[in-house]
Amino acid sequence: MLELVDVAKNYESPGAKEGLCVLKDITFKLEEGESIAVVGPSGSGKSTLLNIIGGLDRPSAGRVLFEDRDLAEMDDAELAHLRNQDIGFVFQLHHLLAQCTVLENVLVPTLVDKDRASKKDVYQRAVDMLGRVGLSEHLLHRPGELSGGQRQRVAVVRALINRPGLLLADEPTGSLDEDSSQNIADLLVELNRSEQVALIVVTHSLSLAERIGPVLELREGMLTERSRA
Amino acid sequence: MTLWRLIKRSLGFYWRTNLGVLLAVAVSTAVLTGALVVGDSVRHSLMKMVDARLGATQLALVSQNRFFQADLADELSDELKTPAAPVLQLRGLIANSDDTALANKVEVIGVDERFFEIGAQPGVEPFWRDWREGVVLNEPLAERLRVGPGDEVKLRIEKPGLMPREVPLTPDSDLSFFSRPIVRAVARESQFGRFSLQANQVAPLNVFVPIRWLQENLDQTGQANVILLTGGKTGELTADRANTAVRKRWRLADSGLEIRELTDQGVLEMRSRRIFIDRVLSGPAIKAGDGAVGILTYFVNELCVAGKTTPYSTVAAMTPGGKSLVPAEMQDNEILITQWLADDLGAKVGDTLELTYSVVGPMRKLEDRKNGFEVRAILDMNTPGLDRELMPEFPGLADVNNCRDWEPGIAVDLDKIQDEDEAYWDGYRGTPKAIVTLEAGRRMWANRYGDATAVRYPKGGVSAETVAAKLLGEIDPATVGLFFQPVRQRGTKAGGESAYFGWLFLGLSFFLIVAAVVLTGLLFVFGVEGRSEQVGMLLALGFSPGLVRRLLLVEGGLVALFGSIAGTAAALLYTKIMILVLSAVTTGSTTYFHAKPLTLIAGAFSAVVISLFAIWLTLRRQVSRTARELLAGVAQRQFVAAGLLSRGRVGLVVAALATAGALILPLLVGSEKSGAMAGAFFGAGALLLTAAIAFTGSLLKIIAGSWKRPMLSLAGLGLRNSTRRRGRSLAVVALLACGVFLVVAVGAFRHDPLEHAEKRDSGTGGFTLFGESAIGILHDLNSDEGRRKMLLDPNMLDGVEIVQLRVRDGDDASCFNLNRAQTPRLLGVRSAEMLSRGSFSFAATKVGAEAETAWDMLNDCEGEDIIPAVGDNATITWALGKSLGDDIEYSGEKGRKFKVRLVGMLENSILQGSLLIAEEQFVKRFPSEDGYRMLLIDAPQEKVDAVAAHLSERLTDFGLAVSSAKQRLAAFSQVENTYVSIFQILGGLGLVLGSIGLGLVVLRNMLERRNELAMLRAVGFNKAALKRMVFYEHSGLMLAGLACGVIAALTAVAPALKAPGAASHGGYLSLALTVAAIALSGVLWIWIATTAALSGKMLDALRSE
Repeated sequence: MLELVDVAKNYESPGAKEGLCVLKDITFKLEEGESIAVVGPSGSGKSTLLNIIGGLDRPSAGRVLFEDRDLAEMDDAELAHLRNQDIGFVFQLHHLLAQCTVLENVLVPTLVDKDRASKKDVYQRAVDMLGRVGLSEHLLHRPGELSGGQRQRVAVVRALINRPGLLLADEPTGSLDEDSSQNIADLLVELNRSEQVALIVVTHSLSLAERIGPVLELREGMLTERSRA
Repeated sequence: MTLWRLIKRSLGFYWRTNLGVLLAVAVSTAVLTGALVVGDSVRHSLMKMVDARLGATQLALVSQNRFFQADLADELSDELKTPAAPVLQLRGLIANSDDTALANKVEVIGVDERFFEIGAQPGVEPFWRDWREGVVLNEPLAERLRVGPGDEVKLRIEKPGLMPREVPLTPDSDLSFFSRPIVRAVARESQFGRFSLQANQVAPLNVFVPIRWLQENLDQTGQANVILLTGGKTGELTADRANTAVRKRWRLADSGLEIRELTDQGVLEMRSRRIFIDRVLSGPAIKAGDGAVGILTYFVNELCVAGKTTPYSTVAAMTPGGKSLVPAEMQDNEILITQWLADDLGAKVGDTLELTYSVVGPMRKLEDRKNGFEVRAILDMNTPGLDRELMPEFPGLADVNNCRDWEPGIAVDLDKIQDEDEAYWDGYRGTPKAIVTLEAGRRMWANRYGDATAVRYPKGGVSAETVAAKLLGEIDPATVGLFFQPVRQRGTKAGGESAYFGWLFLGLSFFLIVAAVVLTGLLFVFGVEGRSEQVGMLLALGFSPGLVRRLLLVEGGLVALFGSIAGTAAALLYTKIMILVLSAVTTGSTTYFHAKPLTLIAGAFSAVVISLFAIWLTLRRQVSRTARELLAGVAQRQFVAAGLLSRGRVGLVVAALATAGALILPLLVGSEKSGAMAGAFFGAGALLLTAAIAFTGSLLKIIAGSWKRPMLSLAGLGLRNSTRRRGRSLAVVALLACGVFLVVAVGAFRHDPLEHAEKRDSGTGGFTLFGESAIGILHDLNSDEGRRKMLLDPNMLDGVEIVQLRVRDGDDASCFNLNRAQTPRLLGVRSAEMLSRGSFSFAATKVGAEAETAWDMLNDCEGEDIIPAVGDNATITWALGKSLGDDIEYSGEKGRKFKVRLVGMLENSILQGSLLIAEEQFVKRFPSEDGYRMLLIDAPQEKVDAVAAHLSERLTDFGLAVSSAKQRLAAFSQVENTYVSIFQILGGLGLVLGSIGLGLVVLRNMLERRNELAMLRAVGFNKAALKRMVFYEHSGLMLAGLACGVIAALTAVAPALKAPGAASHGGYLSLALTVAAIALSGVLWIWIATTAALSGKMLDALRSE
């Protein structure tokens, strides 16, 4: 489903001739329904890796193949379509629309495809999924009326509303307390199984990482499998 | 969930930001749409005034000082199958019964019911039915005189003489008719009270009288000088068709000619009511019958042979040959004398007879001339053809019984008249005592009014009908002033081509609109920046940048739409205020509020489009960032990146180039004082403004790029911070700079008309008083004789110089007239007089003319039927929309078209509204315009008021109104200054918006950096220190803006500040105060925004971070 081949990323740096190398020769594969976690210290390039996989950033070298399509060969519109239909994002900050209700926030990704937005089953799916994450009582609430954990659950449901094949979560529990973090971790694992969505979680939290699946560690730009202690 | 729902949610949720945007759009819409509606209102009012002053009139025949048979109107009505009305229109003056209110220049209009049926609206009270006596005043005149129906008024009407007043042998008395009629009614606009043939929106002062009453009292029975023609039901009557009808239906009497039978002499004789027969008529008249004899009879002062004289005699000149008294072979230096004269002088054949006669020059100056003739033969007193009818009906001669009652219009020394002269008068009356050839007579006595006094046809050779038919077939009636002009078309054109006030007010409101649009953009971008992470999220969720942009654009567009709706409502209020201002400027005119739906829609639409463009510009940049940047908040926090330093150099290059351009531009134009120079300096100022803004932009980049150097003070920190959002900072600097530039630069063009107004090269021409009369003054008011004849006190007028100008009425081409003047009033001026005085100064002249001798241009030959003319700058540029070298077409009194070419432009002057041509050309084109109706009076300062009162009193019968030249100039300048004031007020409002923008920038910057400020507090800075830092940062921007604007503006207005009448010291103070007020306003907004931003618990922000 997803394959990274020798992916590298360099950033230009004021005063530095060769620039700053964040990722080096990253190569791995992820099949449908698989889940992995990526850990590493701050500034190790975890988010950069996730952005490259999600088409939000482009690698300096190497290839990113999604269902055998090379993301480098896609233009911005195709990448946008890919993100909308095949990839779901969950960020550390939920980035919900403050002006919309919980239900509306979940439905936002469906607005890109006008046909889908008008279909009743999408609406029903949103209601069902929000019910599954325990937010049935909050469908018409605004984000400002929810706790941090609740907001992140809404963000997770929003990421999955279009039935993507791949869910990318960037520090999904980074801004949550322990209980909420636990709940989100449970949710991600459960959805990975029930929705058969491949999952890549970037996190500082080893406990979360270990619950997700195989843990890869990003250090000095290199991705290696983390050995269990 | 739909995109529409998402937009609605955002509109409601971010209502504060949207309200700000909405208000900014409302302001720009109100000002933009309001300006357009002002334009519509003015144009609508002008068009409405065309209807009000012309009624259903399409065409008008206006012969002014020539009169024709009023019946011609009936003939034309019958021929063209359309209503026609004869009018006898003259100038006059009127006062109320106790002389407490007076109107010096009124139109006395003799009409009958046909006139009102053409012009009055259906259903109005028909006061003209059974109207035999009494006068009807129009509303403005009744208001001025404070009279109503039943009140008595004193009316003096110019009395047209049988002969033009400046014809030799015309008495200069009996110039007007006085009566004390009762006001019968007051005519409203709907009752055709506003009738006028001139395109001027200022209401005329009209006195309507029954035409018969006027004809009888002015000895003009059956005469008229105007015919109004409607276009019939279709309104498609053309001037050509009407003129064809005139050619078909006119009669000899309409040209002032009549044919009578002289039974005793056995001839038919053609004469003119005007005594002299026009050259255009006399030639064809002589050819109209075989054996016709052209005659020119004159009254001479003296006939002298060998020292013996006979005073005051008539002498005739005749075509030689045929039945003429002058034999065919008689030479032009020969003369026939009567037996009576031969006896009186003791003359015999072969003697030399010296003939002394007077001709009338300008200002009725008599010039005695002599001519010698050889006596060819002596005629018996009973010679056929030698009769008293040879003398025309000279007023003052033909109707008196003895010589001592003569008033021939020349000085008569009664002591010279002997008993034998009385006896001759008793026996032979005006029978000529001598005869010369017509050619000789014409050389002596032909004048601009004609070259014959009669044409005689031998009886039996031709009938009166044949002569008349021949003449009518040969002569174009236009040559005697009988031609129609398309007055409605001209009026519509004058209104339609008038300066579109929409553009003027758009120009005046330009900066306010720009400021509102910039504010719209700023507010919107602040709103979008606040939602940058949302935008990033939408991009991450698969929304394309285009879709996100469209979403925000629709959101902004809806806000703009609502703003424009609110703004359109405000525009109506704005228009009403501007109309009030306009009405105050153009006193006496009415501007009707008129808002065309299409204009409202167009204005609102334009404002929406402009606002959307501003929004699109800000969005383009915002949405072009990547989702990653937006989600990370990098867009808001990013400081200067590498490479900006080099880009700063681009701005420096632009600044250098613009500065160089600013220095070179005035040098290229040269040092001559001209409009081009002012333009060059304004261009240089604009270039300097560009340079200053570009330099500021570069400076911000350079400071931003110098991050390696440590900054060790609060001021330094503030300065560094100002480079953080260079776009915003530069927008504030540019907005303030442009505003200050415009307000200061335009403010410098405010004239103080009273500054140096006593100088001859100023707008007053050095004249202290300005006079206009209803009736032409015939005499030279500078000469002792002229003053004596006009009963003026020579002591009072000692040291007073008066320049007299001839006037041909036309459209008022001053800034008081909102119409586009088509044929402006013409003034006949003696250029040498102006030149010797050095009066007025020229703003521009045609190529090759020297400013010092520019008045001489009026005597240049520009080509056949092209007359050079000089006009006031405002008249040529604004009222006429012309420039030097352009031509304006006129029709002369005799229908001949000629062009007036603009060769010189006077600086702002009291002559605004008219064009000046050489008197010689004036007289040639308008020979019947008698006398001088405009006086420019140079009176010593100490007796200005006394002279004004004296002239007004003594020349009351001429309807002379004397006013201060300075006040006249001030009134003209007031219009210009009012527009400058409007610009400054609107520009000032724009600057207030600019200051609010500055405050918003401060507030926004502070809110964005709230955490940083909290950090500074955490490390020990107190609030006062932070306020100082913020103040340094933003006041630096404000000062940069003010400095850029002021420096550029002072450069731009350098020539204007040096010009006479430029802003005085008070003006400089006013400009300084304006700049200070802007600075104060800026400081206030910075303080308010800083206080608001730094209020509350700042450390909480840090904790939440």
